[in-house]
Amino acid sequence: MPTIIKDEIERALDAWVSHLLQSSAVKNGEPLAIVGIVSHGDVLARRLVQRLEQHNVKALYGAIDVTLYRDDLDLRGKRPALRSSHLPFSTDDFTLILTDDVLSTGRTARAALDVLWEYGRPARVELHCLVDRGGRQLPICPNYAAFNLTAAPGTSVKVHLQEIDGEENITY
Amino acid sequence: MNPRKDLITIDALSDEDIRTILDSTSAMKDIFTKSVKKVPALKGKSVLTLFYEPSTRTRSSFEVAANRLSADVTTFTVSTSSVVKGESVHDTIDTLMSMKMDYIIVRHKNSGIPAVIARHCKASVINAGDGSHAHPSQAFLDAFTIREKYGDVAGRRVVIIGDILHSRVARSTSTILRRLGAEVAYMGPSPLVPPTAHTGIPRFTNWNQIFDWKPDIIYLLRVQNERIDTPFFPAADYHQAFGVTEERLRRIDDLNLSIMHPGPVNRGVEICDDAMEYRNCLINNQVENGIAARMSILYHLTPQTQSHD
Amino acid sequence: MTNTYITNATWALTGEKMDLRMGQAGDELATIFLNDIPLQGVNAISPAGEMQIPTGARVIDAEGQLFMPALFDMHASINLAGRSKRESIYRAGQAANHGGVWGMLVMPSSGFVFDNAATLDSFQDAVSQRSFATMIPAGCISENMQGEQQAPYNTLAARGISILSDAGKMPSNLLMLHRAMKYAAEMGLTFAIRGDVPVLTDKTYMHPSTTSYNLGLHGTPACAEEIGIETLIRLARDAGAKLHLQTVSTAEGVNIIRRAKASGMKGLTAEVALHHLLYTHENVGDYDTTFKTVPPLREQTDCDALLAGVKDGTIDCIVTDHTPCMPFAKKQDFVSAPQGMVALDNFLPCIYTHLISTGKLTWADVCRVCCTNPVHIANPYDQEEDVPMNAPLMLFAPEVHHKVTPDSLYCGTLNTPLLETVLSGAVTLPLY
Repeated sequence: MPTIIKDEIERALDAWVSHLLQSSAVKNGEPLAIVGIVSHGDVLARRLVQRLEQHNVKALYGAIDVTLYRDDLDLRGKRPALRSSHLPFSTDDFTLILTDDVLSTGRTARAALDVLWEYGRPARVELHCLVDRGGRQLPICPNYAAFNLTAAPGTSVKVHLQEIDGEENITY
Repeated sequence: MNPRKDLITIDALSDEDIRTILDSTSAMKDIFTKSVKKVPALKGKSVLTLFYEPSTRTRSSFEVAANRLSADVTTFTVSTSSVVKGESVHDTIDTLMSMKMDYIIVRHKNSGIPAVIARHCKASVINAGDGSHAHPSQAFLDAFTIREKYGDVAGRRVVIIGDILHSRVARSTSTILRRLGAEVAYMGPSPLVPPTAHTGIPRFTNWNQIFDWKPDIIYLLRVQNERIDTPFFPAADYHQAFGVTEERLRRIDDLNLSIMHPGPVNRGVEICDDAMEYRNCLINNQVENGIAARMSILYHLTPQTQSHD
Repeated sequence: MTNTYITNATWALTGEKMDLRMGQAGDELATIFLNDIPLQGVNAISPAGEMQIPTGARVIDAEGQLFMPALFDMHASINLAGRSKRESIYRAGQAANHGGVWGMLVMPSSGFVFDNAATLDSFQDAVSQRSFATMIPAGCISENMQGEQQAPYNTLAARGISILSDAGKMPSNLLMLHRAMKYAAEMGLTFAIRGDVPVLTDKTYMHPSTTSYNLGLHGTPACAEEIGIETLIRLARDAGAKLHLQTVSTAEGVNIIRRAKASGMKGLTAEVALHHLLYTHENVGDYDTTFKTVPPLREQTDCDALLAGVKDGTIDCIVTDHTPCMPFAKKQDFVSAPQGMVALDNFLPCIYTHLISTGKLTWADVCRVCCTNPVHIANPYDQEEDVPMNAPLMLFAPEVHHKVTPDSLYCGTLNTPLLETVLSGAVTLPLY
């Protein structure tokens, strides 16, 4: 099973932060928030916020659970467990960086956009992900993807992060 | 949690079911803090409230919960007369089936009615109180309120006071609290606390015993004299013997105990006026949490009205 | 024409193998007794192999089968709601035939209100045309079973009524009942009543127990039945009336009857329904309406005490308390569903499977409480002949095992917990 190891993820995060530092929001000092989709995107968001802080860039942290907005609730036998969303600020006029671990069909991203609009009217939303594995079913395109993989449909791409899974790698 | 169609009793749920519904309740409560207090989870689903017993509170709570999940809510008005004469539950079920409802929320004075409806319907049936049998959504909101206040239900001591014999709240709430590791005790007029009700549950006869037991929560049941043809106890005695009087409220305050009540409250019977303003009175929290708990219940049930095989 | 012979049949009471010569029309019939049990229709009996059988005679080889008198059921309601009376009678008769029951006391019910001559006449007519079994009606105690006005007992007695009952309902007006007992005592009528105090049992649905508490169903206190039994005994003793206590369900009820009998009270008899010997409140489980009965199913200790009462003669009869309920009605919630079970279809196989083959009762016990006692109580004398009515003989094959299926029930409804269970024993020889 091909694996992307911890060091590669580490380097990818550095590159990701560099990309963020180049963004117009940072350059112009506009309000910025990194909002992760639970349950892995929020961990990435927290790491990005911390790394930006090391560069003296202030970004707010947010996390959203999109389960209640999914379009496939009826297709699953059992309902997924819910996690609390954490977005304790109005998103009006913010640039929001929506982060997720794996981008595939785009359906999660669509649901996430619905969620964000219920917290205010952001100035701009970008979609960033750790892995873009292809297989889009919606007209959605990431602004930034740390890894681009072409995995055959049906194969599983799994991101494991230290904070949740106790290990750090990507398998596919 | 395994796909579950109905919620009839707490007993029918696994520990995992109970935990999952409680956990999701806090996520549901977060929705209230958004500017848009609504999520699309049940968009396009139809929810029917079928109340054979009057209850504005429980019914509105369910209706708000369904609305916040974007479901369409229909209120089925059951005239009491058609229930008394002729119309059997089966006739009603046939009517409901042809309405293609996804969720049916039912309250009835006969114990066991929701189970009958659930057996014959593809819709998810939620028991909103049947006779003296069960009131599971109340149990969830009670457990959630305690968890919210104390962090955990396990290890808490709860004394339930009042008509244990007729109370579906006593049955369901004590069941869920004990399942979650709380200790429960009962107090009430002796004809209303039959020995069959409290196998394994201590029963007290006066307030001193309650205070000696060092409870965390005083849970008062509503005195439901309207349900009872022949009184089980002299009504005039109740407040003095079993109610939270002003004097007892001071003691409760000193000991920092919480007060809960499923509502609606009979002031001057179960509880004195001042107690409603008491700092640890959780009655309003219960009402608010009721909506979140019912959202979580609706969300976690899966109707068999559409199959995806 | 020659006689029919039954060879190698086993006499149920002792296990001895016998040959029987059955009588035919025109024969001189001297009733033959075996262990004091009269054998109807038999005009000669000998140990197996010793009977002289003329060549060409009709012979039934009953190897492996028991013979005994068919059963009489002291308590059956046969009304099928929404069906014709003729169908009700026809189906109950067929069911009885398959359950080894040749005759039954039919309780008055909404379909058969036996408080007037016309109803009794039309019932007797229908029975004579439609029934496979003897059906003796029980007359009403009160008009329309309302418990207020006495029914016309003289008129009823003239139609052959010897037992009065309001179908298990205890009249709440004790003054009416006391006077009725005094009036009817002279006519030799028996009052068949279930001990109850209606005000204590109104709106109750099962035995008060952990089960009833968990299901939120109000309990039927045992003391109501016991007070009722005590009250009835005292009323009957005072009035000099014969009393048959119906469907006793509590251990203390048995004790009260035992004491009354020991005190020398005459004309006091009692019955237990088969289901009260077999099931407890725990069978109700999660609102299983099949197990909704009145009086309710109680504790195992009550079952044991009732069985002990059957053994020692305190309880005189085991009855079916046969009560057809439409499937539709039993599918309602527990509170709304009607009470009762059907039991005629498999009465003897059920008794055999659950009580005899488990060693709880002997064939002699069953013969006493299901044949001789009930016949004696229900109709001590044939009105015209002035001789005891005798049960016809039947053959019973204990080794036949059969599953109870909806198709195998003749009674017209399915409200029995025996459905889908396997029973041993089958009645093989048609009774008539």
